Amino acid sequence: MKRNTLIVLIGTVLVIITALLLFVFQVRKSEVAVVTTFGRAGQAITNAGPYFKWPKPIQNVYKYDQRIQNFDDKFSECLTADSTMLLTSVYVGWQISDASVFLSTFPGDSSVSLPNAQGKLEGILRTAKSAVIGKHPLSDFVNADAQDLKFSAIEKEIEQEVQVQLSTNNYGIRLQFLGFKKIGLPESVTQTVFDRMKSERQVLISRAENEGKKDAQIIQSTADSEAVRTIANAQAIATGIRAQGEAEAAKTLSTFQQNPELAVFLLRINAWQQSLNQRSTLIFDERYPPFDLFRNLPANTPGRQP
Amino acid sequence: MSHEHDHPHPPGHPAPAPMLPDDTGSQALAEALRSSFAIVKVAMLLMVVAFFSSGFFTVGPSEKAVILRFGNPVGGGQKALLGAGLHWSFPYPIDEVVKIPITEIQKVTSTAGWFATTPEQELSGEELPAGPSLNPAVDGYAVTADRNIIHVRATLNYHIDEPIKYIFDFSSASNSIQDALDNALLCTAAKFKVDDILTRDRAGFQDAVLQRVSELVDQRQLGIAIDNCQVQSIAPRQLKEVFAQVTIARQNQSKQINDANTYKDKTLLAATGQASAITNEAAAVSANYVKYVIADAGAFNDLLPKYVSNPNLFVQQRLVEAMSQALTNVQDEIFFSSRADGKPRELRLMLNREPPAPKTATANP
Repeated sequence: MKRNTLIVLIGTVLVIITALLLFVFQVRKSEVAVVTTFGRAGQAITNAGPYFKWPKPIQNVYKYDQRIQNFDDKFSECLTADSTMLLTSVYVGWQISDASVFLSTFPGDSSVSLPNAQGKLEGILRTAKSAVIGKHPLSDFVNADAQDLKFSAIEKEIEQEVQVQLSTNNYGIRLQFLGFKKIGLPESVTQTVFDRMKSERQVLISRAENEGKKDAQIIQSTADSEAVRTIANAQAIATGIRAQGEAEAAKTLSTFQQNPELAVFLLRINAWQQSLNQRSTLIFDERYPPFDLFRNLPANTPGRQP
Repeated sequence: MSHEHDHPHPPGHPAPAPMLPDDTGSQALAEALRSSFAIVKVAMLLMVVAFFSSGFFTVGPSEKAVILRFGNPVGGGQKALLGAGLHWSFPYPIDEVVKIPITEIQKVTSTAGWFATTPEQELSGEELPAGPSLNPAVDGYAVTADRNIIHVRATLNYHIDEPIKYIFDFSSASNSIQDALDNALLCTAAKFKVDDILTRDRAGFQDAVLQRVSELVDQRQLGIAIDNCQVQSIAPRQLKEVFAQVTIARQNQSKQINDANTYKDKTLLAATGQASAITNEAAAVSANYVKYVIADAGAFNDLLPKYVSNPNLFVQQRLVEAMSQALTNVQDEIFFSSRADGKPRELRLMLNREPPAPKTATANP
């Protein structure tokens, strides 16, 4: 009896496993699944977990990666509104939005349908990109003024354009984000840009040199004129001080006016004495005092002979 | 099987001779079956053990693992990530192990705006000679706000904040982050002027790049936190020299201005010194003068009574006094007597003292 039970148990387990394999399938968190019944796609299953299905000939399960996929388009030339040839490459993050629609648009295994979808997306992207870039001048792409720079706005416009195309065509995919990955100029243009940059640099060099000279000169001449002004001011102050002194001295004038004769005499004698402080030669006549003493001496007194 | 085993001994059915070989045959069969059952049992046991032990798995040092139970990740947030070591999960149909090659600190590098170079060239520091133009297929660059061309590249370090989002929302989150970084460099360069990026506002440029990347990462819910971002930017190799010349010219400019400022300080200090010398001298001279005049006035007041009492005597006295003072200082004194005939004597003097101006004087008796 023991063996019988074991057999039954094993049999049951085998049956259950077979049934599970036939009737149940799992959907991972990163996946989305579509169950087709005799080829007709049903609702997409986006939530992870185990699900029921009928075995193979009746129902088929298609699983897709539900995650956001990255994709860059080719670095390609577009003409801007002001006829500048601009090379751009954009990256997108896209995702399957409706797996059952996706399945009917891009039939087959995901290794076939995903590249197909990407090819479609690339075509739409190229058209949208050149349409939007053609509406904007180059100054919308590069601009020091944040108000005029429309970099993000252009990205948004392309994204919207692509989104509209995707939903009108009903591909079952949607764009999550889009942005420029590379922006460049045609190779021949880079050389002219270099030439222009070089001349701009040269302007900067000569400007730096001349500005340096000019600024230095301004500083020096300001300093000079300030120095002159300072000294002139000092001289004015000095004159003021002297005038004050003289005014003070003039107060003594009344003293001298008591007897101008004496005052003049004193001044003269002072001046005379002062002039004698230098080396000087004085020649006196014997008639003048104190030499007049010699004149009145007796005649026989011997004088000095040269 | 036991049924069959019992069969050969039914009561009332004596076994004839041919039964014997039959009985031994079935016995041998039973033996064989029994032993094979034992093997099957052991095999089943082994299978069960193998089934459960197949749930063990190891996670390497540079990877993480997430267990999916019926497709759903076990645990939320950081807890869902299993680090390096031995782990166990239910075997396949129930659980599934997803391994992700990530470390604690993740890094992406954007070289979309850099010229073609190899790691070996980077290390040795040598550069391939640059051609006169940039081939868009090979050499990356960014266009600045003033339509200059520069090379920029950046390295972004980040760690994963929400692994479930990072792993299950993006087929390649690191690619998305790199796209965001490429875009941030491009977009920020389009806003900045070449001199700001290269010299004047390097930090501002780096901050703006970081800000843009953060915005994009948040917008797209990549589930990461940015640790830091290093931005490197250089002028095109073709214009290296002329850019260096600008730097030198600017340095010269500031040197000239510094020199001028030094001159200014020197001049102004000298002028201030001179000015105070002038005013001080004036003050001193003036004070002296006033003192002198007041002293004179005082002396005048003292002398006045004497003068008034006898003006003639006073004058004579003062004159003689002054004369004698003068004469005591005289080095050479020469006297001439008058001629005997009473005629005036003519006297000629040769004077040669500094200044050497010839001068003659005649003394008339």
